[in-house]
Amino acid sequence: MNARAEQVEEQIDALLTARPFSLEPAEHHARVLRVLQGELAYAAERNPRLRQYLEAWPRNYRAAESIADLPYLPVGAFKANPPLTLVDPETVIHTLASSATTGQTPSRVALDAPTSRRMVKGVVAIASDFIGSRRRPYLVIDSPETLAALGALGARAAAIQGLRPFATEMVCCLEGGGDAGQPRIDEARLLGFAEKWREQEVLAYGFTYVIWQHFIAPLREHGIRLRMPHIRVLHSGGWKRLQDQAVTRDAFAAGVAEVFGCSADRVLDFYGMVENVGVIYPDCEYGNKHVPAFAAVIVRDPLTLHPVEEGQQGLVQICSTLPTSFPGFLVLTDDIAEVVRYDGCACGRRGLSFRFVKRVPQAEIRGCGNIETTRQRPSAVPASDV
Amino acid sequence: MSELIRKFDSAQEIAAVARRLRARTLEQELTPSQVIEILERWGESLRGPGIDAIPGVPFLKLWLRRGTLESIVVRELGVEGLRGEWRAEGAARLHAFPLGVVGHWPAGNIEIQPLLSMTCALLGGNTCLVRIPSGLIGEVQTLVERLSGVADARVLLERLCLASFEHERADLQRAMAAAVDGAMIWGGAEAVMQIRALPFPHWARIVVFGPRLSIAAMDGASWSAGPDRETWCRRLARDVWQFDQQACSSPQVLFLERGAGGDVAEFAATLAEAFKEENRLHPRQSIHPALTSAICLARATWLLADADRRALFPATPDWTLLLGSGATIPAPTQGRTLSVLLVDDLLEPIARFDGMVQTLGLAVSDEAKEVALTTAAGRNGVDRIVKLGRMHVFGSPWDGMDLVRPMVRLVRHVPANAD
Repeated sequence: MNARAEQVEEQIDALLTARPFSLEPAEHHARVLRVLQGELAYAAERNPRLRQYLEAWPRNYRAAESIADLPYLPVGAFKANPPLTLVDPETVIHTLASSATTGQTPSRVALDAPTSRRMVKGVVAIASDFIGSRRRPYLVIDSPETLAALGALGARAAAIQGLRPFATEMVCCLEGGGDAGQPRIDEARLLGFAEKWREQEVLAYGFTYVIWQHFIAPLREHGIRLRMPHIRVLHSGGWKRLQDQAVTRDAFAAGVAEVFGCSADRVLDFYGMVENVGVIYPDCEYGNKHVPAFAAVIVRDPLTLHPVEEGQQGLVQICSTLPTSFPGFLVLTDDIAEVVRYDGCACGRRGLSFRFVKRVPQAEIRGCGNIETTRQRPSAVPASDV
Repeated sequence: MSELIRKFDSAQEIAAVARRLRARTLEQELTPSQVIEILERWGESLRGPGIDAIPGVPFLKLWLRRGTLESIVVRELGVEGLRGEWRAEGAARLHAFPLGVVGHWPAGNIEIQPLLSMTCALLGGNTCLVRIPSGLIGEVQTLVERLSGVADARVLLERLCLASFEHERADLQRAMAAAVDGAMIWGGAEAVMQIRALPFPHWARIVVFGPRLSIAAMDGASWSAGPDRETWCRRLARDVWQFDQQACSSPQVLFLERGAGGDVAEFAATLAEAFKEENRLHPRQSIHPALTSAICLARATWLLADADRRALFPATPDWTLLLGSGATIPAPTQGRTLSVLLVDDLLEPIARFDGMVQTLGLAVSDEAKEVALTTAAGRNGVDRIVKLGRMHVFGSPWDGMDLVRPMVRLVRHVPANAD
């Protein structure tokens, strides 16, 4: 490890050990800016194509006085194959893939041991601030098959594993899924877990649509209630599939609370993505998302790409100091968010508070200008027809 | 909704309007010359802040000039055709008569296209049923309001019905198709295929101006040095800016031929200045967030794919120059994103065209070279070869087709006393 890398490592660790939502915004900005500048310089040393991109940026990142002026990568750049990396292949321990829907190319990020370690620390620091740091039984609303992949981890598996440090024991309550077809509830295992930990504080996690389609819906259909009033249900993965079924956030929380027999405020949605590994954005009690000490979020006006004012919406840029095995420091996403306040959320967490609004809708191609460069003609007559 | 643009809710309403329009076609013959007189007055009325801000208005004004339209009619129908007269052809004589009601399905991204399309059919003496895409209603209304204010406009307005209905209303799309004698269809592949599949009468003449892209090219002498370089760059910037680079005639790639000792970095700097200036004069008022994302992705994927590539762009999504080499057309991003590629010979990329390229905008100093490039481009499917800076100038033929003649019937009369 060279001197620059060591210095960056120390700075990241210092941010990771700070209380995640306590830094005064100016200090937070200055410290994250310094680390990100070091990481960009490190990345430029490690990857000549990335250096090319950084040098083409209209502002010199070394002299930047604002995180908003640093060069960022669009999230689509992480769909590259092979994935963008800053480390030698032999040091990669996991390749993390996003949950692309059918026909889409998933994003992939390569994790080495230090990045993986920071990822766990980051998730633990953030989640602890919301649910406390005590270890407790962990109910995974997914199947063991989801966790089975070695080397290449899916987004669901990564999120499940990210919460494992909070677990005294971990139980998957679904079975099947993937090649085995739709996941089904392992009823004996679920009811056994519920019975055993009924009076205890329990953590549950699942992807939003998996919880709704493969867990809540069948349990409601069969009239099963779990009576676990002390459970904390975390979920992530986005709302698109549920929006298609007209399931609102409130309806989701109410449905989950009904089945578990807990209050709806024990159901916690968080925003996260593989390109922003180690950083999750749970909703606070006021419905806002907050940014931890080791990260930053910028919401940019699509017309100018300048940061928006409070109350305005724009494209979300996520910034994280955690990765050093791939260039996920500054990533412009395809998501739209609204800035609630730049500081002063009533929950007491310092810095930016924002709300996720929606994915960027695909632009309709409605003109005579084409984006295909060749004419797609039917293939030649099969030899058998000649 | 104004009275000029009528909202339709039922197939019966469309059929009734088409009957009225068809009756009008038969009641009153209108010569191209008479139509041009009114259109020219309309063109002259198109000025003022609300009008000038509509993309494409300069081209519409140019199109509506008598000089432009007369030359098109004369070329397609002859001098006699301009006056609505018979013209001799051997022992016989020919006269252009309208098809009847012409339906127009313009693309949703070009504000002036509904008007360009309908003028072609009006010149043939037809009446027009024009579906106005929902995103263009405001602009079209503003422009047609000016027509309603010029002398004798009623003659044309009685021959027009500007229709508005949801794209998804298949019943209304079918009704409109069933009611027309001719159709002019413009736009993207999906839209064109959907409209072509509508139940047109078996006699209906259909012309399609489908999705294409366009390319610019400069020889070594034109881009390497001298005062011409700046001029060409300004012209190219204008071509890129018009219609936000979404039109079929918008250049997506500029091929630069090596030679004459030019420095690509110097040229790129000159072109960047031209883009900055064009952006200063014509800044975007809005942008779809997906286009912003696409522009950012184009910049990154271009530079991350090859360490030899370069790019110039501001911190905003206003414009982008992607610099490299090679004769393959990169996938266009649109949104004022121009790929600039060095090639040894301009014939290399042209040899790869397969009909998808509509317009080739040229800056070439050597006439013999221009002839060779033009011939090669024509052979490889290009329909328009024009000077850089004039890539959007709408004229006939467009996409290799006449604009007026497809919507008229040429009636042949062999006099009874002819030999």
